[in-house]
Amino acid sequence: MNPFVKFMASPAGRITRIVAGIVLVALGLLVMHGVGGIIVAIVGLVPLVAGLFDFCVFAPLFGAPMSGPKIRGGK
Amino acid sequence: MTKEEFEQKLRAHPRPVVVDFWAAWCAPCRAIESVLEQLEKEYAGRVDTWKVNADEEIELLRSLHVYGIPTLIAYRDGKDVAKRTGAAPMATLASLFESALTGEPPKKMAPRFADRLLRLGVGLAVISIAVLSGLSGLHWLVAAVGTGIMFTAVYDRCPIWRALTAQFKRTSV
Repeated sequence: MNPFVKFMASPAGRITRIVAGIVLVALGLLVMHGVGGIIVAIVGLVPLVAGLFDFCVFAPLFGAPMSGPKIRGGK
Repeated sequence: MTKEEFEQKLRAHPRPVVVDFWAAWCAPCRAIESVLEQLEKEYAGRVDTWKVNADEEIELLRSLHVYGIPTLIAYRDGKDVAKRTGAAPMATLASLFESALTGEPPKKMAPRFADRLLRLGVGLAVISIAVLSGLSGLHWLVAAVGTGIMFTAVYDRCPIWRALTAQFKRTSV
């Protein structure tokens, strides 16, 4: 299994994605403003929701399943 | 083996059975192998595990409507009480063994307490950011996503949600 995917599915990886998502949403809405800000905020929602609900959107690119439990189970 | 022979074998068996439909080439089957071995030990003498090679029993799989592997089916008194296709974590697979033991369908996994807290906290943070930014135009969308995240922390305890999903299940049958 790809080490990047393994890290992203780990508890540390999930927290990283959630924090990164919150930072992007805050950056987009509180700092950038306008359409660009909204786009950054919506992009930030992707890692945020993925980390929160334990799935990895990029895992299929590395031949791994999207579900976090399945990635961890396949170690 | 035909479906009739398989069902006869199940009925004659004194204990509940979890049948694992697998194949040697199937990576998810190998992924759950160690978990299944652990569960076999845990439920030894109460629930038995049978393995059916999907490559050797194609007709049986077809007649049992098994279209993907790994598939696990829990049987009690010769009747299937739970079925799951695909790799799954320990708790989900254990729920199949519990179903075989009790005859009840597996309970839906509720979010853990830590997950509930995390979802509430993150949802609140997202709503706060949207409110602080002025709640205009598409900011409402972000606030709605935050509300949705918060709801997922408590959805299984919401009577309106339960009533709606029960109604949906009734109409979709």
